[in-house]
Amino acid sequence: MDVGFIIDIMPDILKGLSTTVRLFLWSMLISTPLGLTLALMRLSPVGPFRWIAGFYSWLVRGIPLLLLMFYVFFALPEFGEAFLLSPFWSAVAALSLWTASYQAEAIRSGVLAVDPGQFEASEALGMTKFHYMRRIVLPQSVRIIVPPFTGNAINTLKQTSLATVITVPEMSLFTTRIISREFKALEPLLALAIIYLALTTVLVFAQQGLERAFRLKV
Amino acid sequence: MSDFDFDIIRRSWPILRDATWVSIELFIASLVLATVIGFVLAIMRVSTIAPLRWFAATYVWIFRGLPALVILFFAFFWLGNSLGLTPFQSAILGLSASSGAYKAEIIRAGLLAVDRGQYEASEALGFTKAHYMRRIIIPQGIRVMVPNYVSNSTLLFKSTSLATVIGLNELTGRARQLANSTFQPIEILAAAGVIYLAITSLMTLTQGFIERRFALKN
Repeated sequence: MDVGFIIDIMPDILKGLSTTVRLFLWSMLISTPLGLTLALMRLSPVGPFRWIAGFYSWLVRGIPLLLLMFYVFFALPEFGEAFLLSPFWSAVAALSLWTASYQAEAIRSGVLAVDPGQFEASEALGMTKFHYMRRIVLPQSVRIIVPPFTGNAINTLKQTSLATVITVPEMSLFTTRIISREFKALEPLLALAIIYLALTTVLVFAQQGLERAFRLKV
Repeated sequence: MSDFDFDIIRRSWPILRDATWVSIELFIASLVLATVIGFVLAIMRVSTIAPLRWFAATYVWIFRGLPALVILFFAFFWLGNSLGLTPFQSAILGLSASSGAYKAEIIRAGLLAVDRGQYEASEALGFTKAHYMRRIIIPQGIRVMVPNYVSNSTLLFKSTSLATVIGLNELTGRARQLANSTFQPIEILAAAGVIYLAITSLMTLTQGFIERRFALKN
């Protein structure tokens, strides 16, 4: 193993860092409201809302993310010009659809974990459902949602690596290019692994910080 | 958009079926190896010997912190190349090394969930550690592990799709090749999706069955 070579190629791989981070941030930005909507649909008293959200969750969680990415990239454009997305936005779309299905479960189980007495008391006080969900139930459920929500976010960061298969120039793509150019695998892969490990470790610390911030103070 | 062409699916079926078997074989081999890795790591993490605990904790930190794709790259470009492994063998090593880290956490959580009194009572009765782990603790821990173990295995099945990036002709990779050669990605990729959904749904149903089987009978 050549440590000098790891350091030499690090800048080449870091060229993909901003794309990796942008894939992650866009996917989080889109999947969070989508996941919240799906969670509220699953908790809705309206049957069709529950069925649609349940079907969505079953469908997206039942297939590999890679297949979803291929579908968005190769099959969707066949439905019409409007669906012809660049590799980057295809990856963001697939990652967002995928992350949202997991965030919906995290949010739903958080809401269900709130004491039923809180729902009953809110209704007894004459609050509308919209009002008490927003002011009473969701704020309390945030505490329970934070750990699985951030866990899913860490998974999404790792899954951005799949965008390499539809030629998005993120870190993994640069690494495989270096491997085929230099005929050396260990050093480029170690450099890539160090960067990913640093990113996920930072997110794990952020997760622990958020959990502390939302912990009940007694 | 053209009409959905069922005929192309019928004609592609033999190829998709063979590819499904590759995915299933890869899944089973990886699951067996991942379970062994996870079990050994979990026992190391609850060991009284500190270096064993540190080793297992470091393994889990590294392999959970890296994208499965990157671990697969290590297994294929570096390990597979140095040892002359086939892509299939590399994929088994990569997937089980990654999944084993998650299995270790699930098994450890199951062992820790067993009441302390059970450990103390076993020691008071003069059992050796190997004896009471095998006969008292592990059988009780399994009940706690089962739901997470099975849902994690469903994730592993979906992760077998990653092997397509190292050139293995499993379901996702084959479907993508067929989508390119037939120019009918909508149908072919949907067919692959249905196969994945059938298998993952079956695994979810099995999970419910196993949970009932292991539930405490009052």
